[in-house]
Amino acid sequence: MDPWSAFLDSEGRVMDPDALRKRIFYGGVEYDLRKEVWKFLLGYHACDSTYAEREYLSSVKKSEYEILKSQWQSISPAQAKRFTKFRERKGLIEKDVVRTDRSISFYDGDDNPNVALLHDILLTYSFYNFDLGYCQGMSDLLSPILFVMGDESESFWCFVELMEHLGPNFNRDQSGMHSQLFALSKLVEILDCPLHNYLRQADCLNYFFCFRWILIQFKREFEYEKVMRLWEVLWTRYLSEHLHLYVCVAILKRYRKKIMGEQMDFDTLLKFINELSGRINLDDTLRDAEALCICAGENGAACIPPGTPPSLPIETGLLCSQQEQDEI
Amino acid sequence: MASYGDEEHCQDYLFKIVLIGDSAVGKSNLLARFARNEFYPNSKSTIGVEFQTQKMNIDGKEIKAQIWDTAGQERFRAVTSAYYRGAVGALVVYDISRRQTFDSIGRWLNELHTHSDMNVVTILVGNKTDLTDAREVTTDEGKTLAEAQGLFFMETSALDSSNVKAAFETVVKEIYSILTRKVRLSQEHKKHEVASLGNGKTVIIHGDTGETDGGSRSWCCA
Repeated sequence: MDPWSAFLDSEGRVMDPDALRKRIFYGGVEYDLRKEVWKFLLGYHACDSTYAEREYLSSVKKSEYEILKSQWQSISPAQAKRFTKFRERKGLIEKDVVRTDRSISFYDGDDNPNVALLHDILLTYSFYNFDLGYCQGMSDLLSPILFVMGDESESFWCFVELMEHLGPNFNRDQSGMHSQLFALSKLVEILDCPLHNYLRQADCLNYFFCFRWILIQFKREFEYEKVMRLWEVLWTRYLSEHLHLYVCVAILKRYRKKIMGEQMDFDTLLKFINELSGRINLDDTLRDAEALCICAGENGAACIPPGTPPSLPIETGLLCSQQEQDEI
Repeated sequence: MASYGDEEHCQDYLFKIVLIGDSAVGKSNLLARFARNEFYPNSKSTIGVEFQTQKMNIDGKEIKAQIWDTAGQERFRAVTSAYYRGAVGALVVYDISRRQTFDSIGRWLNELHTHSDMNVVTILVGNKTDLTDAREVTTDEGKTLAEAQGLFFMETSALDSSNVKAAFETVVKEIYSILTRKVRLSQEHKKHEVASLGNGKTVIIHGDTGETDGGSRSWCCA
C-alpha cells in the first residue's frame, strides 16, 4: 500500500486530515500523487468525500466549466467589437500566457497546447469572476496547477479555490497586499527588532521590496519543482495560515547582516531582493520559517489583521464594484 | 544640493529614469537590450518593479542612468507610481503594432505628471518597428503626439536593436545638458537655486517630493 492510500478509508475518505497536513508539511508530496493530493489541499475536494462522490463532483464540475467557457467562446467578432473589456482581457491574457514558464518543457515550443489551455482557463476565470477579471501574476499561479493536474476543468476549479484565498492580492486598491506587507513589518518587529529598527531608519518599512514574493507566492524566486514543494507546504496551513509571511522573515533574517552591514537604502535593498531570485535555499528557509512561526506563537498571529490573505476576506456586505474604474 | 559649485569634482551623476507604458509593449526588453544587449522573446511579465543601472559617457563625464522598469497593468499603478518619485527622465512606451497601447499614452503621461515633477525629460517611444506588417500606428501619428505634448520621439525595436541606445541617450543627454546649464547659471549668478532654464524646461534638483536633505536620490554627485 502506498503512503497516500494509507490515509484513506475503504471508501476514500481522508481519515485524519491533520496527520495528512503534518506529513505534507514536513515531507511534501511525491510527484505522482500531487494530482490527487493538491485537490484536497486546495479545498476542491472535501476530506470527508468518498471516491464515488469525488468522481461525481468532477463530472458535474466538468459540465459547469464547459458552460462557463462557452460564455466567451460564443462571443462573435461583431459582438467582440462592441465589448472593449472582453477584448482587453483577452489581449492581456494572450500576451501573458506566451511568456509564462516557456522554459519548462511542458510549456515550451511553438503552438504548445498547454499554453492554449492556460489562455482558456484564465479567460474563463475572468468570466467566472468578472469583478476581479485577469491580472498579471495570475498566469504564474495557474501554471504549476495545470502542470500537475493536466486536465483543463480540474485545473480551473483548483485555480478557483486558490483565488478564493489569493484574489485580494489583485484588488485594485491593493488592500490584500497592503495588509500582508503591514503584517510582515509587524512580524519583523517582534522577531528581529534590530533589523526592524534598521529598516525604519532607512525608510523601508513599506516592505515594497517583498511585493513580488507575496503577490505570486515566491513563484519567481525558486525553480519550478521547489515552487511546487513550497506551495503544498503553504497550502497545508499547518502551524499557520500565513506561513508565507514567516518565509519572508526567514529570508530577510538570513541576509540581515548583509542588509544592515552594507547600509542598504531602499533602492539597493529592492535590487538586492530582486536578485536573490534563484539563489535562496528552500529547505533551510522552510526550517527557519517553521522555527520563527513557533517562536512568535500567539504574538505572531496577533500581528496579522483578520482577513489578511490567504485568510478568506471578511464579509462586509459591501461586495464592491471596486474594479469599476479599471480598464481590464 | 549646494555642491554643484565644484563641477570639477563631480565625477558621478546618477539619473533616475522610469520606463512606463501598457503591458507587453516591450519595456523590459528595451532595458535588456540597452543594458546588456540582450533580448528575450518570451521574457516574463514584470511583477512589481525592477531597475538596472547603466553607465554612460556623455562629454567625457561618466553618468549612471538608473532605469526603473515597472509592471504595465493598470491594476498595479497604486504600487508602481510610488517609484516615479525622484525621476528626472521617462520613456513612455507603446507598441506600434497595437493601437490600444498608443491610445493609453495620455493616461501614462497624466500618471507621470501626477506622481513626479512636471518637467521630467520625457521621450515617447514607439517600440517593435520590426513588426512592419502589423503596424497600426504610423510614425507621423507618434511624431504629432510627441510634438503636441512637448516630448522627444523615437521609434525603436528592442528585437533588432534599432534606436534603442539612441532613445535612452536622448533622455540622458538632455538631462545632462539641463543640469550643466543650471550649474553654469548658478556659477554665473552665484545663486543656489535657479529653477527655470531656457527651452521652457525646469529642473528641480531634488525632484518634487519633499525630500529636504541634500542626499537626493535622483541627482547624485559623488
